[in-house]
Amino acid sequence: MRQLLRRLGMLFHRSRFNADLEEEMRLHLELREQQQVAAGLSPEQAHREARRRFGNGTALRERSVAAWGWSWLESFAQDTLYGLRSMLRSPGLTLVALLSLALGIGANTAIFSFLDALMLRPLPVKAPSQLVILGDGDEGGNTDRYGSTTLYSYPFFSQLRSRNIVFSEVATVFSDNEKTHGIIDSRNQMDFLAPDLVSGTFFSTLGVEPALGRLFTVADDTTEGAHPVTVISYAFWQTAFAGTPDVLSHTVKFADTTFTIIGVAPPGFFGITVGHAPDLWIPMAMMKSLPAHHNGYKDNFSQSNLIIGRLKPGVTHALAETEINVLYQQIIRGFPDAKLNDYNLSHLQRAHVTLTPIATGISWLRHEFSDPLKLLMGVTALVLLIACANIANLLLARSTARAREFAVRQALGAQRLRLIRQLLTESLILALAGGSLGIAFAVVADRMLLRMISGGPDADLIPIDVSLNLPLLGFSLVVTIGTAVIFGIVPALRASHVEVTGALKDGRSSANAATRNVLGKVLIVAQVSISFVLAVASVLFLRSLVNLTHVETGFPRNGVMLVDMDSSVLGLKGDDPRMLAMFSQIEDRVAAIPGVHGAGFASFTFHQGSWNTAINIPGTAYNDAINIKHNVVSNGYFNTMQIPLLAGRSFGPQDTATSHKVIILSESMVRDLFPADANPIGRHIYIGKDPNPKNDVEVVGVVKDVKFDNLQEHRQYIDYVPDAQRGWGYGTLAVRYTGDFNIVSKDVQNAIHSIDRNVPISRVTTLDRVIERSITNQALVAQLSTFFALLAVFLSAIGIYGLMSYLVSRRTNEIGIRMALGAARSSVGWMIMREIVLLVVSGIALGGALTLATNQLVQSLLYGLKPTEPLSLLLAIVALLAIALPAAWLPARRASRVSPMEALRYE
Amino acid sequence: MKPNDIPPGSLSLLILNTLSRHGEMHGYEIAESILHTSGDVLQVEEGSLYPALQRLLVQGWVSAEWGTTAGNRRARYYRLTAAGRKQLATELSHFHRIYGAITAVLQPA
Repeated sequence: MRQLLRRLGMLFHRSRFNADLEEEMRLHLELREQQQVAAGLSPEQAHREARRRFGNGTALRERSVAAWGWSWLESFAQDTLYGLRSMLRSPGLTLVALLSLALGIGANTAIFSFLDALMLRPLPVKAPSQLVILGDGDEGGNTDRYGSTTLYSYPFFSQLRSRNIVFSEVATVFSDNEKTHGIIDSRNQMDFLAPDLVSGTFFSTLGVEPALGRLFTVADDTTEGAHPVTVISYAFWQTAFAGTPDVLSHTVKFADTTFTIIGVAPPGFFGITVGHAPDLWIPMAMMKSLPAHHNGYKDNFSQSNLIIGRLKPGVTHALAETEINVLYQQIIRGFPDAKLNDYNLSHLQRAHVTLTPIATGISWLRHEFSDPLKLLMGVTALVLLIACANIANLLLARSTARAREFAVRQALGAQRLRLIRQLLTESLILALAGGSLGIAFAVVADRMLLRMISGGPDADLIPIDVSLNLPLLGFSLVVTIGTAVIFGIVPALRASHVEVTGALKDGRSSANAATRNVLGKVLIVAQVSISFVLAVASVLFLRSLVNLTHVETGFPRNGVMLVDMDSSVLGLKGDDPRMLAMFSQIEDRVAAIPGVHGAGFASFTFHQGSWNTAINIPGTAYNDAINIKHNVVSNGYFNTMQIPLLAGRSFGPQDTATSHKVIILSESMVRDLFPADANPIGRHIYIGKDPNPKNDVEVVGVVKDVKFDNLQEHRQYIDYVPDAQRGWGYGTLAVRYTGDFNIVSKDVQNAIHSIDRNVPISRVTTLDRVIERSITNQALVAQLSTFFALLAVFLSAIGIYGLMSYLVSRRTNEIGIRMALGAARSSVGWMIMREIVLLVVSGIALGGALTLATNQLVQSLLYGLKPTEPLSLLLAIVALLAIALPAAWLPARRASRVSPMEALRYE
Repeated sequence: MKPNDIPPGSLSLLILNTLSRHGEMHGYEIAESILHTSGDVLQVEEGSLYPALQRLLVQGWVSAEWGTTAGNRRARYYRLTAAGRKQLATELSHFHRIYGAITAVLQPA
């Protein structure tokens, strides 16, 4: 410790130290000299003798300094300073290198932070690797289908929990949690909140501890409706209650039920779904009290829950799966109301429950974004490689120019290793500076990306944490050092490997320049080929996006406003006459607003999910594999959406709760599912399998096909039923309008509130935006890959320009001689160009081969075109040539303008 | 090893011992003292005293202070620290053991 202090003291008083050493050595020499003179030598001889006996002063001084053990730091500082100086000597090169590194490292960090947040980061719970979910966790909603292996009823969960022996604890989460309006304390406004229904065992299964108060216990979830309690999230505590410590005396009211806050979940806890951050949790036993009035707590076949379990220590995954499948059959067949007919039994027999590990949680975002993100990760890695190749090339060119300097230094006794270390230090400085810039860039890029992924400037941000964290910084650091090594090592080895005498004798025109340039040329070919692959990909994605935006939706997509309202807060059932009356009044009043050409409700507007079942068409074979999407619509819907009626009639006032049930079908449903040439109008079909009169509906019309959930989907079978005959607590009103969005939107909201001022309106948007948002990931891929491809091509152009300029400067002498001997300017220019054209063309050829070899990777992200399609290749070739050739031409032209006299005189 | 060179590693022992015998000394005096005490046998490359002294300073076995010589010149005087004294004892006993052993081996039977 003291020794370290002494050594540090020496480090900070370096100049004093040197002066002291110098003085003491001088004294020694002088005293020895005097002594020799006294012994009878001449002053000159004495001087020489003193020096001889003393030894090599410089070496001794170096050894004295080295005794303090700072030499590594010293040479590092020297290298750093030297590196900084040589970077500043060529500011243009440094700037280009820094910028390309910053963009490369920044882009990699940004994309990785999303990959990390969405797919890699473990859930912030106890031992997440022990957690599994029954089934694949990829479904949501409610099903009464036998053999469902992802969605389960609450009674199933209760039995599984008490009967299994493989899980230390089991919990269930409602799969269809929706945001709804509630009142905090007795504030006089409603807030749009996200409650999650969970079992009493939810928190204990995940093994989390409360930040405040207590979490749920089994007792909170035993008796239906008995415990109106809630646990709120840490973030909700901070935002809605300003983090007040007495939050446990506060309440949140949904519909008619006031829930008491009993605890606060730990910070960062969100449950098991990545990208879904509930504000509060409510016990399953209270599901009926939420505005949606879910009624499945005691229903054996209302299957709408996900089940997660924590494996007991020592229980293998395979053992648990076997045990759970045995229990699964026992529990479902044991329900007294189980309908064990042949049909259901065959489904049950085929059902196999897989246990899926959920250490990283479940997430719908993954389906949508994991492929695009992986692709973009690859793209950004390639861009970074190009940047590295570029910098390597620039450094290589410079190190060749510095060959003489290194030769001199080696001749003076510098060790080879020391030279390599110095060059690598320079690379590392460059990389670290670029890396820090890159991280700053990543922070900004992350925010932009989150915006893009969330669906644009008017969308709610998806609650995932992509802020800088330790693994991420580690990733960037590894990338940075990796790049420094990649672009630094080759020039360093090469520079330190000069033949001393040769390099010293050589002047500017080195005879072996050609061999030295091979590496540079290889790098250019690699750059061009990678840029080409990226360019082809971006052209493909852009064209795919254009194809998507031109997809025929079946309705005009412009001029439709979508108003989301929350009618569930009224606490009425969907088929309540008051509810029906309210919707029809709203429809009429909104339709009468100036500038509005129609208004209509639908249970599902575009990209809003679906309710589907099979149907039974008498006279055809029942096929339960064909799912029909049902849409409950109001009378004004077809008119508003301008979906053309092809036959029969639309819904009208004659269709009431008591009149015969009617249905309208989509055209392909009629064409594909009905007997050929049969007139569908007037025929009766059954919704579902059973031909019982309850399900009987009469076809009254046929409408044109429309896109239902997304633009990529194939033709959908859709039928429509009138609201009056199947009440649906609507959430979305579609309004066709002309004029200013804001004015009409305000009028519409006023009209709705003039019918019922208690209905909260959560969002007003346009159909256009919804369609745009539905292709967010395609837009994301297209935009970003285009950006990166441009960057790649641009970087390659810089590389080409750099190499060409270098070649020209090396050959100035030769060019001078050629021109003095009568070569034409154009032929000199061509001589230079020929070389680079060859490189670019071989790069493109290689890139073309790479593209063909890897096209399967992008197939799944394309719409309406094949990855090998020639037009895209052609466009990429043209784009690449258009940028690469001018970059080569500029130096070539300079070469052709060399004045022979000047070139020859220079040498 | 050239004749009259000191064995490697023993320079610090010589310095420590010289300082313990004479108290404060500057570099030249240490060199002179070693030379004379050994009857002009031990030829130190005089300059190599200085890196050796720096090593001893790092270890904390000697301390240094600027003073004035008899001839009124500024000089750095070295003196043994307590730790240096202990180190000297260790090195001496080590040296005597090895030296004794070597002598015993070389003694004619």
